[in-house]
Amino acid sequence: MKIGLYVCTCGTNITATVDAGKVIDELTAQFPESYAAQVEFICAAEGKEFLKDHLIANRPDRVVVAACSPREYESTFMQILAEAGINPYYLQMVNIREQVAWVTPDPAQATRKATTAIRAAMMRVRYQEPLEKIEQEANGDVLVIGAGPAGLQSALFLAEAGRKVVLVEKTPVIGGMPVLYEELFPTMECGPCLLEPFEAQVLHGDSAHNIELLLLSEVTGVTGYYGNFTATIKQAPRFVGTTCIGCGMCVEACPASAANEFNCGMDEKKAIAMPFLGALPNLPYIDPGSCLRSLGQDCQLCLDACPMPGAVDLEDPGRIVERKVGAIILAIGSKLYDCSKVNGLGYGEIPGVYTSLEFERLASSNGPTAGEIKIPGGSSPASVAIVHCVGSLDPQHQQYCSGICCEYAFKFNRVLEHKLPGTKIHHFYKEMVTAGKSDFVMYEHARKNPDAGFIRYREIEEIQISASASGQKIAYRREDNTVDSIATDMVILCPAMVGSGDAAKLGDMMDLTRGEAGFFDELNGRLHTAQSKVKGIYLAGTCQAPMDIAQATSQAMAAAGYVLSGLAAGKKLVIEPISAFVDEERCSGCRICGGVCPYKAITFKDDTHTSSVNALLCHGCGTCVAACPAGAIQGNHFTNKQILAEIEAILQ
Amino acid sequence: MTAQAMTNVGTPVSESFEPKIVGFLCNWCSYAGADKAGSSQTPYPPNVAVIRVMCSGRVDPQFILDAFHKGADGVMILACHPGDCHYKEGNQRAVQRYRILLGLLEQFGIEKERCKFDYVSAGEGEKFVRVITEMVDTVKGLGPLTLPVRAY
Repeated sequence: MKIGLYVCTCGTNITATVDAGKVIDELTAQFPESYAAQVEFICAAEGKEFLKDHLIANRPDRVVVAACSPREYESTFMQILAEAGINPYYLQMVNIREQVAWVTPDPAQATRKATTAIRAAMMRVRYQEPLEKIEQEANGDVLVIGAGPAGLQSALFLAEAGRKVVLVEKTPVIGGMPVLYEELFPTMECGPCLLEPFEAQVLHGDSAHNIELLLLSEVTGVTGYYGNFTATIKQAPRFVGTTCIGCGMCVEACPASAANEFNCGMDEKKAIAMPFLGALPNLPYIDPGSCLRSLGQDCQLCLDACPMPGAVDLEDPGRIVERKVGAIILAIGSKLYDCSKVNGLGYGEIPGVYTSLEFERLASSNGPTAGEIKIPGGSSPASVAIVHCVGSLDPQHQQYCSGICCEYAFKFNRVLEHKLPGTKIHHFYKEMVTAGKSDFVMYEHARKNPDAGFIRYREIEEIQISASASGQKIAYRREDNTVDSIATDMVILCPAMVGSGDAAKLGDMMDLTRGEAGFFDELNGRLHTAQSKVKGIYLAGTCQAPMDIAQATSQAMAAAGYVLSGLAAGKKLVIEPISAFVDEERCSGCRICGGVCPYKAITFKDDTHTSSVNALLCHGCGTCVAACPAGAIQGNHFTNKQILAEIEAILQ
Repeated sequence: MTAQAMTNVGTPVSESFEPKIVGFLCNWCSYAGADKAGSSQTPYPPNVAVIRVMCSGRVDPQFILDAFHKGADGVMILACHPGDCHYKEGNQRAVQRYRILLGLLEQFGIEKERCKFDYVSAGEGEKFVRVITEMVDTVKGLGPLTLPVRAY
């Protein structure tokens, strides 16, 4: 086998200690069919030209370039091989500058070390195989799950770029959580004012034709991989079609009602109802849990009241659809930590103790009290406690800070100040966090409110809330160890954000891992927070980590960016040849490889009882290759044969 | 007589003994760390011959056994720090395999100090020099490895 060896002198960088002539003499003697050439600067324009011409003239079977670090120039020389008509994977580089000449002052030692390293490369390169990049067609369409701010932002951005988007939302309405908030921090902008125009764009804007919105829908299955996913989506019946004019006659006629989930169960809504005032799309829906007809009774009062033929369809069976997409964006949001798990706060037991979400609805003009902040007896509170850090920064509950609770707690301070001037507000906090260029504003307002007080506690267990005749009594221990108590009419708990319940189901379906708090794991916490650990599945918003709307929508744009860059129109997916593959003849079906693969690139084929690597998902780390007890997996370009040849040459 | 004691019987440690050590370096951190040591031109002993792998998770224990069998006096596996792995967790697999292998090496009569696992990041040129220097010193102290199996 003819190996072309090119030794770069790098000016005097290499030859100051390495005797290139001696290296070449020794190796050409050991490999008599090979040839060697000494080049002064092989990376310079003339050096590269020389290499290319020399390769064309000599047609070696394999090429070894002994020069600087392959981390810097390997791809350059691979390209030259390709230009010379030689498979680029026939190249092996040896680093005789950084790892030999520059660190070995003794010329005899440096020459010996360089000779050993190049010999190992020459032994190894003989086993290198011609590898090719494979291109594969990919679907550019995208599935976005969740129609809150993050999901809407991704969907709209992609639709504007001409992509077909399937937007799946499990509720009958779009806008997510913040559309239920009367005001948003840090500017006190109203939630619907911010989101409704945005929702209108998704429903009826210039790019709306690119978005297929599936409400009351859940993804029930995902198969395939990056570029070629198939999703199964189950859409529950709405019983109301698009010919509905939103007049509300059906709602008036409906005799049944049940707890209103959009108001955290604090009031009731009819079995056929708009989700809430201003909800988009402006269509009522039937809740089968409370509809008399769904419960077996012979009722069709809504249908009878409806002035639009066909708008109410009591026989709507729902449907199951299948959609093919190239990528998936998860924007399913999060939920609040269950406050009843925190002892002593009386959540769920003591009247007048609310979560922050419940308070948002009490303060909203489309909420259960039409925006009047009232306590259970019907009067307005004169004294309100806002407890920060509930279940946060606490090893008993969640160890992290959610980063948004102080912000909205100070927003509540403003809301109370506006709506109920003179109300006493007591902020109980463990730590106070208001990072960001404009977020201190809310905090400053709270500090300047003469009716607001701040009490720092050490552990949440040192706050004990009990019911009293007029409201609640809060007994507490301050951080300075003094104890005290106050009487309040209302308590607002600001709990940690945690992963939503749907995250577990969707995570299992798509092989996504989640941390303890239930948030999806990102590929890298600094560089790739919008990318999940599975290629082609991206994360946007609070399903990845606690964050505010600004961060969630930015991440949504990042997720959409990955899709637009990775699945660009007319671009095929490139399968890098440095990947692993399973020799099915030798595979015993033990599945150890699948367990160690960090990228879920290995699937088990039930019919043949063997594992197989999806080269598109494989990153070529070789962990499975080392793990396979049968030696059935080969790691391309780093095969056992190649590495064992290196070992042998080193130890000659 | 313990396996360890049996190994080095009749092998006087020569002053001029230059051990042969095989070093498996992951491409992303440790190999880059070695390049950093080179860029700062910090000298270190020339006894370690480097084999570049994409990830320390690729280091099959049989490579280590093969190296000892073929005459290595020491073997090193250098990986990304925990949490820094370019492939998320290949370094964890590597260290798990290493720990299991150590027990096996002792049964073969190979002192566990001859096989070293450490973490060197892309910025740790100095640490690379230190780890290499210490390993060379350790193996020099142990003397050449003589395995009964080599006689066959």
